[in-house]
Amino acid sequence: MTSPQNVGLGELIISRHPEDILVAYGLGSCLGIGMFDPVARVAGLLHAVLPESSNGDGSSSKYVTSGIKNLIEGMVKAGANQSRLVTRMAGGANMLVCVSLSQAFEIGSRNINAAHRTLQQFNLRLAAEEVGGNVGRTVKLYVVTGKLTVRMVGGIEHEL
Amino acid sequence: MSEIIEKFDQNFITYVQKIAREGMYNAAVGFATMLGERLTVTEPVLKIIPYSEIPDLLGGLEAEAVGIYLRAEGSIPSQFMLILPFQKAKELVDLLMDQPEGTTQQLGSLERSALAEVGNLTGTFFMNTVATLTHTELRPTPPAVMVDMVGAIMDIIVATSGEVGENVMMLQASFELNNRQVQADLWIIPDATSLNQFVPRSKA
Repeated sequence: MTSPQNVGLGELIISRHPEDILVAYGLGSCLGIGMFDPVARVAGLLHAVLPESSNGDGSSSKYVTSGIKNLIEGMVKAGANQSRLVTRMAGGANMLVCVSLSQAFEIGSRNINAAHRTLQQFNLRLAAEEVGGNVGRTVKLYVVTGKLTVRMVGGIEHEL
Repeated sequence: MSEIIEKFDQNFITYVQKIAREGMYNAAVGFATMLGERLTVTEPVLKIIPYSEIPDLLGGLEAEAVGIYLRAEGSIPSQFMLILPFQKAKELVDLLMDQPEGTTQQLGSLERSALAEVGNLTGTFFMNTVATLTHTELRPTPPAVMVDMVGAIMDIIVATSGEVGENVMMLQASFELNNRQVQADLWIIPDATSLNQFVPRSKA
């Protein structure tokens, strides 16, 4: 019996329960960053909203930079080994394609850059990513296998 | 955000309802000019609801919807998002293009243009009314139309306002043309900053 766990805006969920499926529904400019330790069988999914804090609130999982840090710490606390973490991410779309608006709000691209930068700081390499464009995505992380899937509107779920 | 929620008192809602009514009335006049026929907009109802409840009202975060987004520049920078469930958007296109109900199956460039015009007229006339009543200057940007998951469309508001889990203003209205009616829940979601600036001015 599978059990979907909704990972809301600015949240992260870490699970060791094989029946759990961690889901971030309808990501636009937000990023879904999934981590899995195949030995300890621990999985975690972050739903980050903005690249980084502008007012000094550097601990919230709402931000890509602090969210990744929180995710790694949470994974290690749950028994994972940082060096074994398999990291995948999806999202970071630039939803506004109107010329006059898009440049001002390239939050998606900024989120992706912040994620690349932060993962590098923690010496974590991305196993796979499906980011950018201007379409929304739903991301699912299956705790039982560590499989991460992506689905776009009107599309079918595919493994990343 | 708590400071702003407190300001959603009855006086404020009544005031904004008045603005909304005038704004929608003006929008209907604009539509009628565009269509060459009389289009009416029933009295809009303004509600304050938690942002987190919007997805449920639109069929869930993954449900397909149409978002029409405008920004206003000027003395009260603000942003407005009109979100329609996909089915309602198609009905509205049929109504606007004077086609039998069910004609529109996909939203191509023509249909998106029609919906952009809905956003343009509704948003622009709404903003003009706000500007007139509050003695401020607002310049709306051209609308951007998105067809995507509800969650992805809503990300724009969260990403640009930087806020999560706040209350928003929702405007419900029906468009009626030649005895055909489309109930469209139009969501006007001002960002926290602009609302903060708007409230003191509106009560002044």
